[in-house]
Amino acid sequence: MILNKATGIRIDGKKHMSKTTPMHEYLNPRFVYLPLIQQNSPLKRTVEVGDTVKIGQTVALREGFGAMPIHASVSGKVTAIKKVWHASGRMVDALEIENDHQNALDDAIRPEPDPSLFTREELVNKMVNAGLSGLGGAGFPTYVKYLAKTPIDVVIINAVECEPYITCDYVMIEKYPEKLLKGLQYFMRAADAKRGVICFKNYNVGIIEALKPLLSHYPNITLFPVKDLYPAGWEKYLVQQVTGRSYPNLPVEAGAIVNNSGTAIVYADVVEHNIPLISRAITISGEGVKEPKNFLVPIGTPVKELIALCGGYADGLDPAKSYYIAGGPMTGRAIMIDELIVNDTLGSVIVKPMPAERNHPACLGCGRCADVCPVFLAPTEIQRAFEMNDKDAVRSLNASKCMQCGLCSYVCPSHIEISDFVFRAKELLRK
Amino acid sequence: MARFANAKAPYLRMTDNPSFGTGAIQRDFLIALLPVILFAFYKNGLQVYLDGNISFLEMFYPLVFILIGGLMSTLLEALFFVITDKSVRTMKTLGKKLSVSYAAIPGLLLAMILPLYTPVWVLIFGCIAATLVAKMLFGGFGYNIFNPALIGYVAVAFTLYGVIQNAGGALNASEVLADAVGGATPLGALIEGEGLSYNALVAPYGTLLDFFVGTIPGALAETSALAILISYVWLVARKVIKWFVPVIFVGTVFVLSWFIGMIAGAEGVWFPLYSILSGGLIFGAVFMATEPVTTPRNPLGKVVFALFLGVFTVLFRFVGDFAEGVATAIVFMNIFTMPIDNWTAIIRSELGGKEIFVKGAPKVKKPISKATIKGIILVALILLIALYGVLKAGGMFTASGWILPTVGRLF
Ligand code: SF4
Ligand code: SF4
Repeated sequence: MILNKATGIRIDGKKHMSKTTPMHEYLNPRFVYLPLIQQNSPLKRTVEVGDTVKIGQTVALREGFGAMPIHASVSGKVTAIKKVWHASGRMVDALEIENDHQNALDDAIRPEPDPSLFTREELVNKMVNAGLSGLGGAGFPTYVKYLAKTPIDVVIINAVECEPYITCDYVMIEKYPEKLLKGLQYFMRAADAKRGVICFKNYNVGIIEALKPLLSHYPNITLFPVKDLYPAGWEKYLVQQVTGRSYPNLPVEAGAIVNNSGTAIVYADVVEHNIPLISRAITISGEGVKEPKNFLVPIGTPVKELIALCGGYADGLDPAKSYYIAGGPMTGRAIMIDELIVNDTLGSVIVKPMPAERNHPACLGCGRCADVCPVFLAPTEIQRAFEMNDKDAVRSLNASKCMQCGLCSYVCPSHIEISDFVFRAKELLRK
Repeated sequence: MARFANAKAPYLRMTDNPSFGTGAIQRDFLIALLPVILFAFYKNGLQVYLDGNISFLEMFYPLVFILIGGLMSTLLEALFFVITDKSVRTMKTLGKKLSVSYAAIPGLLLAMILPLYTPVWVLIFGCIAATLVAKMLFGGFGYNIFNPALIGYVAVAFTLYGVIQNAGGALNASEVLADAVGGATPLGALIEGEGLSYNALVAPYGTLLDFFVGTIPGALAETSALAILISYVWLVARKVIKWFVPVIFVGTVFVLSWFIGMIAGAEGVWFPLYSILSGGLIFGAVFMATEPVTTPRNPLGKVVFALFLGVFTVLFRFVGDFAEGVATAIVFMNIFTMPIDNWTAIIRSELGGKEIFVKGAPKVKKPISKATIKGIILVALILLIALYGVLKAGGMFTASGWILPTVGRLF
């Protein structure tokens, strides 16, 4: 706590709400809305309103850093460019495609006769062509990690889901264990790594049960249970625990690549069937939803339809007194209008009544925020420096190390928005 | 389409649970005072009554005295709100203000560390200094720089000490009658220059066990290490305080006192034990050195703060002739809370988490950072002041002045 052993804290996972319900495949919504933005970089549209598109057809291009194509997730007609609510909390332009329910596939989608022949370069190229990006939440283009020059000795699959409520990765693995292992195997070949490790929360024995019988065919892949702590799924922790090494900026510096389990499952299809990233799993949960569920949906599906499939909002839910959270409850973002669409980074939508109003005393200086910070920051000092607009002080307090886990706000007994101060101090440094 | 509420992440908080929060922390703190208050009642009330030295009603005086302290500071704070805060119009708004201000604590603590026969008007004067000056004028709960109770105490002790003595001072009726000690508390005996001998310092009051249990003369509620230990365990278990702050504070005083004893010829472990068991050190270490508002926030800062406290307590107590070494040291160190917090925050953010570089990681050579230099300065300061204190104090108690003649004794 003082200088080492920041291991995180246990938070009630509430996973039981959606863990045992089977994956609901909802593959044919009437409309999908493909957001024309990824990780803050706008996409270039390659189709016009009125065009017909097939599943897997390129409809937009990401340019500059992480350049790659984006694909249609249903077949049908491009009917409009519309503003939709996006997980980033803003309204963005999106391509509206009306589903013709023909499920016509693009020509590029066809099985590969022998995927084991692919070279490293070909495997990386497939990531680019598939528009594969991290499904864990950051949405980092996957192939960029595989271009690094450093030798990689381990590929780590992150199936930890350390945020409460979220279970979609877990359910996906239960459903597609073989695909996960195959995807990881291809990742290892793409990185020329000798080792593959699958990390998950230690109480998720279901993952062991699903994977154990298959593991004998994958001698280089091991399972790695991690403790039930938040933020155990943080990339840095996983790399440290698996390799014993730390790194300043990116996992490749420690000879590791970390991919989300959902990404690996998609990648298996990318390599073997040339199916690009067009669908993802998502958890709809929280006390504000009648029957929480996990879905497999085309990217661009309106969340509203999913909530309707969950039986709608819980009885007596007062939206004005509830949160509608894009992402997990710790690092997600409250969206004020429930018109969200599923984009590549959206792993969950949590609807949850606000706790009863309580009085909020001043910061009592207990220091709990500094105790829990996984990167050993002193949030209250950063707040003070930020409030004095003192850039140098913010910098010397290493505010940029903050990984935005939100733990400091979580533990604060005075309910101070202390992590928000740290985020804003970080912003200050960028200016 | 529905409109949902907006708020900042995370959307889960520990405060979602109504039994957690700053209010609960303060409540736990109040509960922690109970064993100490009960002991004060036993020692200065019940026992004296059983001895037949006071009447039945007088027996409750210690409790009443402490309650007056708590009540006074609450009243004063309410008054302050009514006068200065325009938004306070009704009882309800006033209640709301007070509920996040934890007004009773400074007065309670102040009453507990004053001598039993402090006139009530002196107590009220102390409450004014504590609540109005040290707390409310600084901006109220969460913004005060100095520990309010200790400011009240220092104000009283430095201006009205004689008044308290004339009114009867710290000794309860039984202790006065026993008259073995010439009107002094154990630490007073040391300051009055009795020299460092067991017979002068410990024997008149009993044994060191009496010191531990707390049946020795002293301020109203700070004599019993035993009762405070119970509070300590409770506070640590409830996560109200960090376990290491009192330990480091008391430990530092113990070690330095041992050195002083060695230099001054007080052999054995009795002197350092005597040193930590007298004069409100343990009370201050558990209830005041851990006070969140006025001490550093980050854990490394708390460690450094506690070290400094130990060193300055020794310095003030043995070199400065203050019987109130602990109080003075804490108030003095409160001034440095902010800079210590800042420095240690920088150091910690840079050095923190190094353990993860274990197991064959290539060592990264970094230039010496500002944080390292700050760290070295801090440690050097602590050591220097400690060395000065030990040599000076050790020399003081030997007849022949200090440093040169005494250094020889170390070896
Ligand atoms: S946890 Fe909250 S009350 Fe405690 S020091 Fe941090 S901001 Fe202040
Ligand atoms: S949000 Fe940032 S400052 Fe707060 S605990 Fe997490 S890493 Fe530390």
